[in-house]
Amino acid sequence: MIIRRYSEYALRIIFGTQIDLTVHEQVRRAFYICRSLHHPDILEIVPSFCACVITFDTEAISYESLSGLLQEKLADLSTVEMPSPQLHEIPVRYGGDYGPDLSFVARHCRLTAAEVIDRHCAEIYTVYTVGFSPGFPYLGTLDETIAAPRLETPRTRVPTGSVGIAQRQTGIYPFESPGGWQIIGRTDTRLFDTGRPPFSLMQIGDRVRFYALD
Amino acid sequence: MTGTVTIRNPGLLSLIVDPGRRGYSDVGVPSSAALDLYACEALYALLEDPGTAVIEVLGPRFALQFTADTTCAIAGARVKAFLDDIPLRPWASFTARKGSLLRIREVTAGFRYYVGFAGGIDIPAIMGSYTTNLECGFGGFAGRPLRSGDVLSLAAPRQTDTRIFPDGLIPPMTSPYLLRVTSGPESAYFNSDSLALFWGKGRQELFTVSTNLNRTGIRLQGKPLVFTADVPKSIISEGILPGTVQIPGDGLPIIMLNERTIGGYARVAVIVRADLDTLAHLKAGDLVCFALTDLEDASARWRKKCSLMKSFPSLCR
Repeated sequence: MIIRRYSEYALRIIFGTQIDLTVHEQVRRAFYICRSLHHPDILEIVPSFCACVITFDTEAISYESLSGLLQEKLADLSTVEMPSPQLHEIPVRYGGDYGPDLSFVARHCRLTAAEVIDRHCAEIYTVYTVGFSPGFPYLGTLDETIAAPRLETPRTRVPTGSVGIAQRQTGIYPFESPGGWQIIGRTDTRLFDTGRPPFSLMQIGDRVRFYALD
Repeated sequence: MTGTVTIRNPGLLSLIVDPGRRGYSDVGVPSSAALDLYACEALYALLEDPGTAVIEVLGPRFALQFTADTTCAIAGARVKAFLDDIPLRPWASFTARKGSLLRIREVTAGFRYYVGFAGGIDIPAIMGSYTTNLECGFGGFAGRPLRSGDVLSLAAPRQTDTRIFPDGLIPPMTSPYLLRVTSGPESAYFNSDSLALFWGKGRQELFTVSTNLNRTGIRLQGKPLVFTADVPKSIISEGILPGTVQIPGDGLPIIMLNERTIGGYARVAVIVRADLDTLAHLKAGDLVCFALTDLEDASARWRKKCSLMKSFPSLCR
């Protein structure tokens, strides 16, 4: 673990340089430890694949004091109270208007559309992080035989519930938004509800399995 | 006593905003804060009403009508504003009578301006904030920009003494803009000559604000930064702060605003906090240059700006 300054009021706690489950588990533990501190001078904690970014109140604490405190609190990641990961089963309508890029992915991978769907549904994915837009889960790791590059020109509008693929990741768009992932299907499952804490269906460390609707 | 204002013309884009949605970055919820917080704080001081929902407006022709006597104020971009054809002093509060019409005829400098009402706008807070998340369609007025005919309820309209913000404290809003930056996490991804042209004192390239700009980010045109040979052109997505300058594969900077929590491009630099309000006023064709500074200087500028903003209530007369 290394701590680096990001800006006047932010630091990064870095656990690795690769997308990898061991690194992910360290990030997740560090996130929950930082959160459990309920430190009044910590403003936001943003976990991602390999690091946590923390913003802090510079009027109340210095970078030096906070990084010293975090070094101490994060020295032992083995004991931490965390929610147990939830498994989310997500129904998906694949292909057609719901998944306009399914045929491209199949051609790119030299498979049939049915094979792409089977392989997409075969895996239990881990929520590496939630972000980009509220509630968007970055899911790994996608079977490499169905990995596909991002679109060269991102779409300006991807419909709510779209299920996408980008390299070895898959994800779900909680809101209509711009997006560059290959869209292979769509789900009706609601991923983000501003009226219901904890707001995001998916939390870091949760598991996801997709199943195909006819 | 209750009252309303009716939007007669939303200008190019008008949105309900506040100082931002805090504490939910871990599930991807950005702050969506007012882009010019200095102007927003000035407005709060003029209205004697900190933290309330205000309207952030882009462009001229914005107009609204009052159904109750209430104190109102405008701050931000320099505008020519009229209340029933009587010119209004900018960065000052004024009392509007029931039935009167507020109109903005022209924006003379800067881009975004703020309109607020003593007592605030009565709308529900979503996840602790009134501000609009435009992309996802929540917060603010039904999660969308204001339209002609929309009726905003005023929470507690009242008349206060009219107040004036000191002229000398209204920031200049003229291109070319200087943006001070500190070195970002991936600044070493770029070759030193191109970094020197990007932020080196006295050597900087001017960048032009492209037409590709919105509330999420501002793309610049100019001399591309050059990646060193041995680095990837994107990073494993990681947390990102407002004002971060990202460099995608084409080498041209994107300044991130208040709508993303995670990003996947190299973060070459971070605009110092004291200069972030400037970003609210960049429009297509404006010129921008970056200047490298250190964290000590950045922090000192921020402390000075914060203490100035805290004194706004006592500086308005």
